[in-house]
Amino acid sequence: MGRYVIRRLLQAIPVLVGTTFLLFATVYALPGDPIAALGGDRRLDPQLVSRMREQFHLNDPLLVQYWYYIRDILSGDFGTTFRGVPVSSLFEGKFQVTFQLAITALVFEAIIGVGLGLWAALRRGRWQDQAVLAVTLLLVSIPTLVSGFVLQLVLGVKLKQNTGVDFFPVAGIQDGMRSYIVPGLVLAGLSIAYLTRLTRTSLMETLRADYIRTAVAKGMSRRRVLGRHALRNSLIPLITYLGADLGTLMGGAIITETIFNLPGIGQQLFQSVYLRENAVVVGIVTVLVLVYVLANLIVDLLYAVLDPRIRYE
Amino acid sequence: MRVTRGVRITAGAALLALAVAACGGGGGSDNSGSGSGSAAQPVRIEIAEPQNDLIPGNTGETSGAEVLNALFIGLVDYDDQKKPVNRIAESIESTDQTTWTIKLKDGYTWHDGTPVTAQNFVDSWNFTAYGPNQQQSNYFFSVFKGYDAMNPQDPDGEEGPKKAAEPTATTLSGLKAVDDKTISVELTHPYSGFPTMLGYTAFYPLPKAAFESEGKMKADYGSNPIGDGPFKMSKPYKRGTDQTVEMVRFDGFKEGKAKVDALQYKIYTDLNTAYNDLRAGNLDIMDQLPPEQIGGAKAEFGDRYIEQPSSGIGWLGFNIKTGDTYAKSRELRTAISMSIDRATITDKVFSGTRVPADDNISPVVAGYRKGACGEACTFDPAKAKSLWESNGGKDVKSIDLSYNADGAHKEWMEAVANNIRTNLQVEVNVKPYEKFADILNDLGDGKVKGAFRMAWIMDYPSPENYLRPIFGTGGSSNYVQYSNKEFDELLNKGDSAASLDEGVQFYQQADDLALKEMAYVPIYFYTTNGAFSSNVKNVKIDPFERIDVFNVERA
Repeated sequence: MGRYVIRRLLQAIPVLVGTTFLLFATVYALPGDPIAALGGDRRLDPQLVSRMREQFHLNDPLLVQYWYYIRDILSGDFGTTFRGVPVSSLFEGKFQVTFQLAITALVFEAIIGVGLGLWAALRRGRWQDQAVLAVTLLLVSIPTLVSGFVLQLVLGVKLKQNTGVDFFPVAGIQDGMRSYIVPGLVLAGLSIAYLTRLTRTSLMETLRADYIRTAVAKGMSRRRVLGRHALRNSLIPLITYLGADLGTLMGGAIITETIFNLPGIGQQLFQSVYLRENAVVVGIVTVLVLVYVLANLIVDLLYAVLDPRIRYE
Repeated sequence: MRVTRGVRITAGAALLALAVAACGGGGGSDNSGSGSGSAAQPVRIEIAEPQNDLIPGNTGETSGAEVLNALFIGLVDYDDQKKPVNRIAESIESTDQTTWTIKLKDGYTWHDGTPVTAQNFVDSWNFTAYGPNQQQSNYFFSVFKGYDAMNPQDPDGEEGPKKAAEPTATTLSGLKAVDDKTISVELTHPYSGFPTMLGYTAFYPLPKAAFESEGKMKADYGSNPIGDGPFKMSKPYKRGTDQTVEMVRFDGFKEGKAKVDALQYKIYTDLNTAYNDLRAGNLDIMDQLPPEQIGGAKAEFGDRYIEQPSSGIGWLGFNIKTGDTYAKSRELRTAISMSIDRATITDKVFSGTRVPADDNISPVVAGYRKGACGEACTFDPAKAKSLWESNGGKDVKSIDLSYNADGAHKEWMEAVANNIRTNLQVEVNVKPYEKFADILNDLGDGKVKGAFRMAWIMDYPSPENYLRPIFGTGGSSNYVQYSNKEFDELLNKGDSAASLDEGVQFYQQADDLALKEMAYVPIYFYTTNGAFSSNVKNVKIDPFERIDVFNVERA
C-alpha cells in the first residue's frame, strides 16, 4: 500500500513538469507586451517598461525564461506578480477561499445529488422519478451566470428588502460560512444534476443484480439491503466523479467567484492569464495539479475501502 | 497486501484534513456584520483592488487614489471651479513661472504625531522621480530641473540589448527644502499651471517614518502607510489577500475631525455585485455604476444618485501624416466627424454614461468652452455628405476603424461605423485589436493607416494637460502625428503667462487650431455615475473621481 502511494506520487512529477511547461509556453505565446498593458489607457514611461522587462526576464527566449522560473521555484521563491505582490502570499488567502467554496459545493452535490438519485431510483418509473429527471434536465440547462445572478438578487437583495430576513449575504466573505452557501449551491448546480442521474442509473443497475435478489430472498431488511449491499456497491462511480469534480470546482469557479465577489483563485487565474503573469498562472496550476493528483489518489484508496476485492500492491 | 483498517484510517485522515482546512477560512474575519447604520459601523465604499501598494508615487489608478485620498492631503485641493486652493500650502508663488516658492502652513501633522515639513515633500518627490524606484507616477516630475539625470534614456530603445545608463543623481537638482516650511522648485521651462499639478496623488508628501534610510523606502510602508490626512489605517492592508481596507478617523487632523469615525473600502471585482450589495444595504457609496443599471439606479436612488462630468474624453484619431487618403485630408476627416450622431450614441450605446463632446478640453477643467468644436462636431448628414463628395470622398474605397477589444469599445465603434456607412455611403471596416497594448504598438510604429479610437483622462486639471501630450509635437499620446509650430508656441505662451487665468486664452487659441485640424475628432466626454445608501449623506465626488470623505456624514 505504502509503495503504491509513493509510486503514484512519483508519477505526479513528470505530470507537473509537463503541465507547467505547456502552460508557461501558452502564456508566453499570448500577444502583446504585458508590461505595457499595466498602464491601462495611459502609456507607461519607456524607461519604466524597459526596467521591468529586465527585471522579469521578458527579453529572454522561452526556454531561458522557464529555466529562471524553475530555478527560483526550486530555491523556494515563487516570484512576484508584475504588481509586486509575492505569488506565495496570493496562495494563502485565495486557495483557502476557493477550497472552502469547492468543499461547500461538494457537500451540496453529495447530499442533494446522491439523495435525489436514491429517491428516484427507488421510485423508478413513477412520477417522482420523472420529476427528478425533469428537474435535473433544467439544472443542466441553466448556465451558472444566470443562476448566480438570479439567486443573488432573490436571496441576497430582495429577501432582505421585502421581508427583512438578512441571512444570505449578497457578496464577499465577511460573513464566514454563511457567505459560501449561495455561491456553493450555484457552483454545485450542474454537478448536482449529473450526480443525481449517475446515482440513479448506478443504483438501478445494482438493484437488478443477483446478489440483491438473494439478499431480499433471504429475508434481509430493506434498509440493510439498500445501505449495505446496493448503495455501497454503486458508490464507486460516484466517488470517481466527486474526486474528479473537486479539481474542476477549484479551477473553474471563475464566474461564481466573480458574481459573489469571493477572492479565490479562479478570479486570480483569469486575471493573471489576461495580464500574462506567468509566475502566477503556473504557480496556481501547479497547486491545482497537486490537488487533482491527491484527490484521485484518495479516490483510488477509497475504492479498496468500498470494494474489498480491490487491492493495491 | 490486503487493505486493512490502517488504510481506512489513512484515507479517513486525509479527508478529515481536507475538511479541517476547509473550515479554517471563514470564521475569523467576521466583525463587520450587515446591520444598518449603527454607530460602530464604518462607512463602506466600493473600490477595485488597488494595483500597487498604497504609496502615493506609485498609484496611477482610481482605486488606489481613492484610498490614499482619505489617508493623505497634499499642498492644494480643488474648488468647485476646479481651480487649485491651498491646503497645506500657505502660498505658491513665482515671478517667472520657472522658479517657484512654496510656503507651508503650521499645524499639519502625520498620523504618528510628527509635524509635516518641507523636507517630507522633498523626500517624497525625489523618491518618485528616481527612475530605479519604478514608480508609476515618475513622469510627473519631468518638468522638474534635474529629472533627466535621475532617468537616463535607454540608448537603443526598450527592446534593445543595451541597458539604460545608471542615473547620475538621486535627487532633483531643482528641488530644495529651504527651511522647515519652505520648498523651492525650479522647473525646466516656465509653467503657469504648476500649482494645478500639486493636488494630485503623486505629489503627496511622505513622512520620515516611510524611509529606512535616505531614499530607501521601508518594505512594509505601502501596506500600512502613515499619512497626513483625516483618516488613518486601523490595520495593515495585505494586498492580494484582504478584501477590505480599514481606516479610523485621525483626531489630530488640523482642519478638524471628519464627520464619521471609520471608513471601510470594500474590494469588488464586479460592479454588478457591488451594486447589488448597495441595494441590499451592505455598501454605502459607489462612485461608479454598471452602465446597464444606470436607468434603474436613477429611479431607485432618486436624490441619492450622482451624475456629473468626469475628466475623460474619447476621440476618433486619424493618421494624418502617413495614413490613407481620407485620413490625410482635413475636409474628409471633418465630413466623417459630421456624419457621427454623437447624441444617439452616448444615449443609446452608453446609456447616458457619456455625453457628446464639443471640445478637446473636458468640462471639468477651467478653460472648457461649450460648443468650441462648432459645426464640425455637430451631426449633419446632409452637409457631411456634400463635404465628403466635393473633396473626392467618392474615390475612397473603404475606411478602417481600429479599436482595442479589451475595453468595451466594440458597440460604439460599430455604431460609428454604421453612421459613416449610412451617411457617407462608403464601406467601413471595423478592426478590433485584442489588447490595448497591441494597438499602441501598431500606432507607435505608424502601422494604423486609418482611423482609431483613443481616450485621455487628465493628470491634473489644466487645459494644457489636454493639449500638449495629445497634439504637441512629440507628445506622449500624439498618435495622429500632428505637428504645428504655431500650436506649440501658443502652448509655451500659455505656460509662461503670469497666471493660470492669463494662460487660458493661449491654450484656447491652441485648442482652436487643433479643432480646426480634426486630427483627433472629439466624440464623447465621460461622466461619473454614482449612488449612495440611505445610511449616509453629503457625498461629493471631485474631478479626480475621489470621494470627499472628510465631509461625508451619517444620515
